[in-house]
Amino acid sequence: MSQAVARALDSRPFRLLSGPGLRLLVAAALVGIALYPILSDNRYYQNMIILTLLFAIMGSGWNIISGFTGYVSLGQSVFLGIGAYTTALFSVRLFGPENPGEQGVNPFWFVPVAAVVAGIFAAVVGAILMRTRGHSFVILTIAFLFVMQLVTLNWSGLTNGNHGLTLPLTTWDREYQYWPFYYALFGLMLLSVALSWWIRRSKLGMGLVAIREDEDKAASVGVNTPIYKVLAYVGSAVFIGAAGGVYAYYLTFIDPRGMFDIVISVQVVLAVLIGGRGTIWGPVLGAFILEPLLETTNTELGIGGNERLILLGVLLGLIVLLLPRGIIPSIQDLVTGQREKARGGLVGARLERKPLRVVERAQAEAREAPPGPLLEIRGAEKRFGGVRAVDGVSLAVERGTITALIGPNGSGKTTLFNLIDGTMPPDRGEIWFDGKRIDGLPPYRRAHLGIGRTFQITRLFRNMSVLENVVAPLRDFSWRRLGADAVSGPEAQRAHELLEFVGMHRFADMRAGSLSYGQQKLTELAQVLMLDPKLIMLDEPAGGINPTLIAHIEEMVHELNRQGTTFLIVEHNMPLVLGLCDPVLVLARGQCICQGSPDEVQADPAVLDAYLGADFALEQKAGVS
Amino acid sequence: MTELIQVIILGLLIGGVYALLASGLTLIFGVMDVINVAQGALIILAAFVTWALWDATGLDPLAGLLVTTPMMFVIGYGLYMGTIRWIQGKPPSTSVLLTFGLALVAEGVMGLVWSANLHSATPSYFNQSFRLGDFYFPKAQVFGCAIAVGVLVFLYIVLTRTWLGRAIRAVSANMSSARLVGVNPRDVAALTFAIGVATTGAGGSIAAVLYPFLPGSHYAWISRLLGIIVLGGMGSLPGAVVGALMLGVAETMTATYISPRWATMVPWAVIMIVLLARPQGLLGAKLREDVAV
Repeated sequence: MSQAVARALDSRPFRLLSGPGLRLLVAAALVGIALYPILSDNRYYQNMIILTLLFAIMGSGWNIISGFTGYVSLGQSVFLGIGAYTTALFSVRLFGPENPGEQGVNPFWFVPVAAVVAGIFAAVVGAILMRTRGHSFVILTIAFLFVMQLVTLNWSGLTNGNHGLTLPLTTWDREYQYWPFYYALFGLMLLSVALSWWIRRSKLGMGLVAIREDEDKAASVGVNTPIYKVLAYVGSAVFIGAAGGVYAYYLTFIDPRGMFDIVISVQVVLAVLIGGRGTIWGPVLGAFILEPLLETTNTELGIGGNERLILLGVLLGLIVLLLPRGIIPSIQDLVTGQREKARGGLVGARLERKPLRVVERAQAEAREAPPGPLLEIRGAEKRFGGVRAVDGVSLAVERGTITALIGPNGSGKTTLFNLIDGTMPPDRGEIWFDGKRIDGLPPYRRAHLGIGRTFQITRLFRNMSVLENVVAPLRDFSWRRLGADAVSGPEAQRAHELLEFVGMHRFADMRAGSLSYGQQKLTELAQVLMLDPKLIMLDEPAGGINPTLIAHIEEMVHELNRQGTTFLIVEHNMPLVLGLCDPVLVLARGQCICQGSPDEVQADPAVLDAYLGADFALEQKAGVS
Repeated sequence: MTELIQVIILGLLIGGVYALLASGLTLIFGVMDVINVAQGALIILAAFVTWALWDATGLDPLAGLLVTTPMMFVIGYGLYMGTIRWIQGKPPSTSVLLTFGLALVAEGVMGLVWSANLHSATPSYFNQSFRLGDFYFPKAQVFGCAIAVGVLVFLYIVLTRTWLGRAIRAVSANMSSARLVGVNPRDVAALTFAIGVATTGAGGSIAAVLYPFLPGSHYAWISRLLGIIVLGGMGSLPGAVVGALMLGVAETMTATYISPRWATMVPWAVIMIVLLARPQGLLGAKLREDVAV
C-alpha cells in the first residue's frame, strides 16, 4: 500500500510539484499571466485575473501575519479600504470637481501614498492589538474593520459617507483598457511574494515562526516579540494598501460597505487556507483557485449574492474540516513523509559530545563584574486569586555558584523562575540581576542581559529543525540583523559547536517535534547556551530522563560552570542536587525557609518538616514506609 | 432628568433581551472554548421563522418562541454533530472560521427564502406603551424583557440545580477532570451547544418584534453579543447579564444624546476598549495560565 503511494508520489505530476519542477511550473504560469493581456483582449478574463491578483496580494499579506506569525486576522481587508480611501481622497481633493483646472490624474502617484498610510495604520493599531492573543486578537481584528467602516460611513464631511466617492478620470488613453491596472497589480503581487520569500528566509521570519510556535518561549530566548509582531503586521498591510489604491481606480467608484467588507476578508483567508498557509506560493495558488471558481459559478450558473455566500460558507467549512493545512503543505507532507520513511530515523543513535570552546563574553565579564550577588530577589510576591504561590521570597545567587532551589511540590519554585525570567510580573518585590533592577523589564530584555532558562516540560519550536531552534535565540536586538539569513554567520557556527557540545549535532536537521524527551532537553540546553548567559536556570533538568543522560547533563553543568556560568537549578533528584550544588535554597509555602550547604540543609528541622510534614514521626511509628 | 431616566429604562428593557441572547454565546464559549460567530445569524433565522408563522397564521410573534426554541435546539444539536464536534481542541481561529462559514451559509439561505428586504413582525401591541407617571414602557419591550428574564431564570435553575447543569459547569471548569469523574464531555458539549443555540429561538422571536431585520443584520447582532460577553467576562453567565444591561443602556444613550448612526459603533468600541484594558472583562476571573490544565 505505502509502496504504491510512494510510487505514485515519484510519478511525473508529483515530481513537478517539488524542487526544480515546481520552479519551472511557477515561472511558466507567471509568464502566461504576464502575456495574457497582450495575446487576448478578452475583458471578461482580464477582469477575472485582475480580481485574482488582488486576492493573491491580500492573501500574501495575510499570510505574513497569520501564516508565519500565527496571529489570525479576520479583518485584513481593512487595509484595502484604507488604501482605496487614501488614494480616492487625495485624487478627489486635488483633481476632483473642486479643482476644475486640473484635468486627469495619474493614480500611480497615490499608490505609494496608500501603501505608506496603510503601513502607518498597521504600525499604530498593531502595537495596540498585538498585545492580545487567540480569541481576543481575532475579535479585535474584526472590530477594527467594522470601526473603520462605521467611521468612514459617518464621517461624511470627509468621505461623503454612504454616497461613496467617484474617482476623477485617469490620464492615460482609453485604448490601454485594463492594462495599467492589470500590470500594476501583477507587479504588486510579485513584490508581495518577494517580501514573503525574503521574510521567510531572514532572521525576522525565523523569529515570527518562533512566535507562532511558542511566543513566551521566543521571548525567553531573547526575541523582541513586540517589534517582530508589529513589523509582521506592517509587512502584511503595505501591499494591500497599495493594491487598494489601484483597485479604487479600477472600480472608479468606492463606498464604505464595499471597501471595508468582512466577506472580502473571509475570502482572502479562505484562499490562503486552500493554497496552504505559511507557504510562499500557497496564497497565490489559493487565489487562482478560489476567485476563478467564484467568477465562473457566478456567470455560468448565473448565481447571485446569496448563492455566493452559501458557496463561500460551505467551502470555508469544508476546508477547515477536511483540508485544514491546505494543498501545498499536504502535498509536501506526503512527499517528505515517504522520503523520511525510506531514509530511516536516528532513533537510539549514540550521543557523542565534544568540549565547548569558551566564548569571550563569559570570560571578560567574569573578570570585571560589579560587586554583590549575580541575582538577588527581595520580598517577591505573586498571587493567583487567593493562592500565594510566592509569598515574600528573598534570596541571592552568588556568582560562579551552582545553586539549587528545592522544595515540595507547590512551594513556588517554577513561579519564582517565571518571575525571574519575566514570563509573569511579580505583584510586589524587587529582582536585581548583575547590578540592575530587572523586574520591570520584558522577558527578551532579561535574556539579552544574560538570563537563560529551560522549562520543566521542554518547550522547543516543534516545527523548526534542531539547528534552527538553536540559532533562534538572540543576544540583543539589532535592526540590521533582522534581514540577515536565518541560519548564517557566526551564530550558525556557534550553533553547530553547541550541538556538538550537548551531543546533538547528528540530529541538527531533524524536526524538533520528532525528538525524544531527553533529546529535547539537550536541544533546549544548547538553545539557552546560544544566549551565552551569565545565569542559567534549569527547571528539573533530570526529570523524566535516564541515569546515563543525567550524568551527561551533570558533566556539562560542571564544565560550563568552570567556564564562568552561574547556575540556578530546580530539581527533585536529591542525590543529584546534593552532589552537584552548593549552596542549596529551600522553598516552602512560597517562602525561602533555609539556605546553606547540602549538609546544613539536610540537618535543618524546618526542611524535614516542610518535606515530610508533622505526621512523619507518627507514620514511622505505625510502620508505614 | 426625566429624559435620562426614560432612556435608562428603555436601555434596561432592551438589555434584558440582550442578556438572553448573549447567554447562549457565553455558555458555549465557557464550556467548549468556541466562539459561535453564527449565533447572530441563528437569531435572525429564528426571527424569520417567527415572522413567517405570524404572517401565515397570525400566531403572536412572542408565542412563536414555543416553536422556534425547540427548532433551534435541534438545529444546534445537528450543527454540533455535523461540524463543531470535529474541531474541538483546535486553535481558536479554527472555530471562528468554521462558525463564520455557517453564518454565511445561513445568511445566503435566508436571503434566498425571504429576500434581502427588511422584515418586521408587528402584532397589535407593537407600537403601544404602558404609562407610569411621566414614563412610558413600550409593551413589546416589556413583554420581551419579561419573557427573556423568565427563560434566563429557567436556564439558571437548570445550570445550578440539575445534574446536567453540574456536568456542564464541571466540563467548563476542567474537561479532563470531568471525564475522570464520569462525565462524558462529548455529550455535555453537544447538549450545551444545543441549549446555547436554543436561546436564539426565544431571543430571535422577541427580536423579531423589537427590531426590523434582514439577513445581513446578523453582523449587528453578533457585534452586540460579542460586546456583551467581552464586557461581562467571556464564559460567565452573570457577566453576560451585567454586560447586556450596560450595553443596552449605552446604546440607547448614544442613540439619544449623540446620534443613532453612532449607536452601532458602541459594541465595537466596547470590545476594543475592554479587550485591551481588561481582557478578562468585568466578572471574568483571571486564571493562572502557567500550569498546564
